Amino acid sequence: MKRQIPLMIVLILGLLFVAHVFIPNKLSSDYLDWFMKWMKVIGPFAIVLGVFSLVYVHYNKIKRKAPTWGYSIVTLTALVVTTAVGFIWGIQEGTPYMWIFKNFNVPLGATMFSLLAFYIASAAYKAFRARSIEATVLLVAAIIVMLGRVSIGQAITHWIPDITEWILNVPNLAAKRGIALGVGLGMTATSLKIMLGIERSYLGGKD
Amino acid sequence: MTETIGIWIAAFLTLCMFSFLYKDNPFYKFAEHLFVGVSMGYYIPYTYYNAFIPYAYEPLFLKKEYILIIPFIIGFLYWFRFSSKYSWVSRYPIAFSMGMVGMGVPMNMHANVLVQMRTMMLPLNSINIILIFVGTISILLYFFFSKAHKGVYGKFTSIGVWFMMVGFGASFGYTVMARISLLIGRIQFLLGDWLGLIK
Amino acid sequence: METVTDKEEIEEIENRIALYSDYIEDKPEIVKKANQLKSDKERMKLLYKTHCTNIRSFKYYIRKTDGQGHFIDTPIYTAPNGEQYIFPKQNWFNNDEIITLIAVLLFAALVYFMIQAARKGKRLYIRPIAGIQEIDNAIGRATEMGRPILFVPGLSGISDVATLAGLAILSKVAKKAAEYDTRILVPCRDFIVLPIAQEIVKEAHYEAGRPDTYDKNSVFFITQAQFAFVAGVNGIMIREKTATNFYMGMFWAESLLMTETGSATGAIQIAGTDAVNQLPFFITTCDYTLIGEELYAASAYLSKQPLILGTLKAQDYMKLLIVVTVVLGTILSTVHLTFFMNWFPAK
Repeated sequence: MKRQIPLMIVLILGLLFVAHVFIPNKLSSDYLDWFMKWMKVIGPFAIVLGVFSLVYVHYNKIKRKAPTWGYSIVTLTALVVTTAVGFIWGIQEGTPYMWIFKNFNVPLGATMFSLLAFYIASAAYKAFRARSIEATVLLVAAIIVMLGRVSIGQAITHWIPDITEWILNVPNLAAKRGIALGVGLGMTATSLKIMLGIERSYLGGKD
Repeated sequence: MTETIGIWIAAFLTLCMFSFLYKDNPFYKFAEHLFVGVSMGYYIPYTYYNAFIPYAYEPLFLKKEYILIIPFIIGFLYWFRFSSKYSWVSRYPIAFSMGMVGMGVPMNMHANVLVQMRTMMLPLNSINIILIFVGTISILLYFFFSKAHKGVYGKFTSIGVWFMMVGFGASFGYTVMARISLLIGRIQFLLGDWLGLIK
Repeated sequence: METVTDKEEIEEIENRIALYSDYIEDKPEIVKKANQLKSDKERMKLLYKTHCTNIRSFKYYIRKTDGQGHFIDTPIYTAPNGEQYIFPKQNWFNNDEIITLIAVLLFAALVYFMIQAARKGKRLYIRPIAGIQEIDNAIGRATEMGRPILFVPGLSGISDVATLAGLAILSKVAKKAAEYDTRILVPCRDFIVLPIAQEIVKEAHYEAGRPDTYDKNSVFFITQAQFAFVAGVNGIMIREKTATNFYMGMFWAESLLMTETGSATGAIQIAGTDAVNQLPFFITTCDYTLIGEELYAASAYLSKQPLILGTLKAQDYMKLLIVVTVVLGTILSTVHLTFFMNWFPAK
């Protein structure tokens, strides 16, 4: 009941999905439609788990007066205010909800993303300092491709864009292909293990 | 007016985030915690209006598709996680969402294995195709777990490592410009939209 | 309902009724048939079914052209019964997928035989992988330092197989951490990954015989937004001073933001992903990186259960088979024999 039935559900649905791939019949596409439709109903319920967990963690921090507990108030206030604004005035363009999105979420996200420009430089420096042959190969290829994609590369010598193209089309292609083949097998095996119940850690304990 | 306030807030938050480059500080901590709050706060009404209403509420209560009571109940079972005694009940909706792994078995075999195999079977009529062929085979053998990387075999798999490193370098170099343009975008916002120094 | 009193209006409605009656009189059989049905729903059903059949019925002929404006047409195909319209019939098997079916059955058979062999106690050798061997030491290091371990199970949901592979590794790492009595922090971005990760960590504590040390707050949700999640994770690394960071699963552009911060805090970092575009960043900033398939193999290495080891062995033999097949196919296509290659799907 606690473990066997969930495993049976995974097995039966899984086998039907295997069959779905091979059967082009309407019955088979109806099955996929049915599953998707139900998943769309089930999905939104899970959000409560996330919200509850977030609130619980920060509420606890405030209650225990843990270090930086003051910032937890910021998180909870922001959460409550944004949610309330969305429910009170709706989520269309021009509502306060979208104003918050535009002036809070967008700049915060874009700035976080743009920090990568600094981090990528520091990662390159790490590769340079590592002094292993592999890291050097990686770095040299990176520099060539980087230069080959901008006009400076062309200006230095026409070899750079040519080599860039070669790197992208030959070793890079081989690397992508080799990795994809291995990953494909790994994914097939993992899916099979889960479907057959060989790998069942996701269900937790035996009790 | 609200637009100006908005730009000032956005600029302040941008600077708070950038301050992390120096070190963790109260401004970053504030921005980080605010970001977590607003992003989740954004997501709740979004999911309600764009997922719950059209796919769950409307079909069941307005179109009266009563069969949807079943997934409603399955979804509701997630909430048993809050009970320590009955938390196992939440395995049912989890198992239900896991059902799709079955599709992964043939799909991955098809898209990642068989299709790739076909693309490899090209006539070896140019040095580049031979290089790709050797590179792919050596990488594949690098991922062969049943034999230690020693001797001639070890040398061959190390060719695979070289290929991968050049490939990773290519990805790395390819990404750099995209990341720099993101940074330029933020600087343009600060200098242009906020301070009006550049047009 | 309103009652119409205006004469002109009544006349117009009567005209319209007459028009539709005429229409039904001399219009297709199907409309008449539908008209005889009692309920609206049945009428709609019949009409819709006919509509579906009609839009998918075709006549065909073949046109041959020399590409310079000259062409010749065959007459329209007529079936022996005189019918020109043809309607597609549903198949019960997709013939294009026959090679996939063979490959899947072959793989399943390999898995079965290898599991049987492993169960009988046959010793299955697997070569050591540095990144996986270091997992133990990395957990030990956190224990010695008295600091927590961070485990990020990727940013994707369970529809990504990489997430499931990451969660399988989590169960082993969490068990070790529980044995060493070291705190493990698991931030989640997906709602469904959250309860799964909670179950896994809880069970790991039970298995290690330390149910009392399981902290409900150790597996938690941060937020759905990609970069807000990363901001949160970075905060955790710095403030909780995590000694060891694991990143196992699916990652996107945010990967470098986390690993650079982790490397700045001096943590030992072990990553594993099949996201090819993120691998260069993991390799340059982490101490060990499990590349592609190694991520999927890691749980087998760590668990050493015959069932899981057997599957890994089957993967290996499948790989050998792929190499042999590809070499054969390449030789054949080099001598212009493409029939073999054409058995495989192009997309």
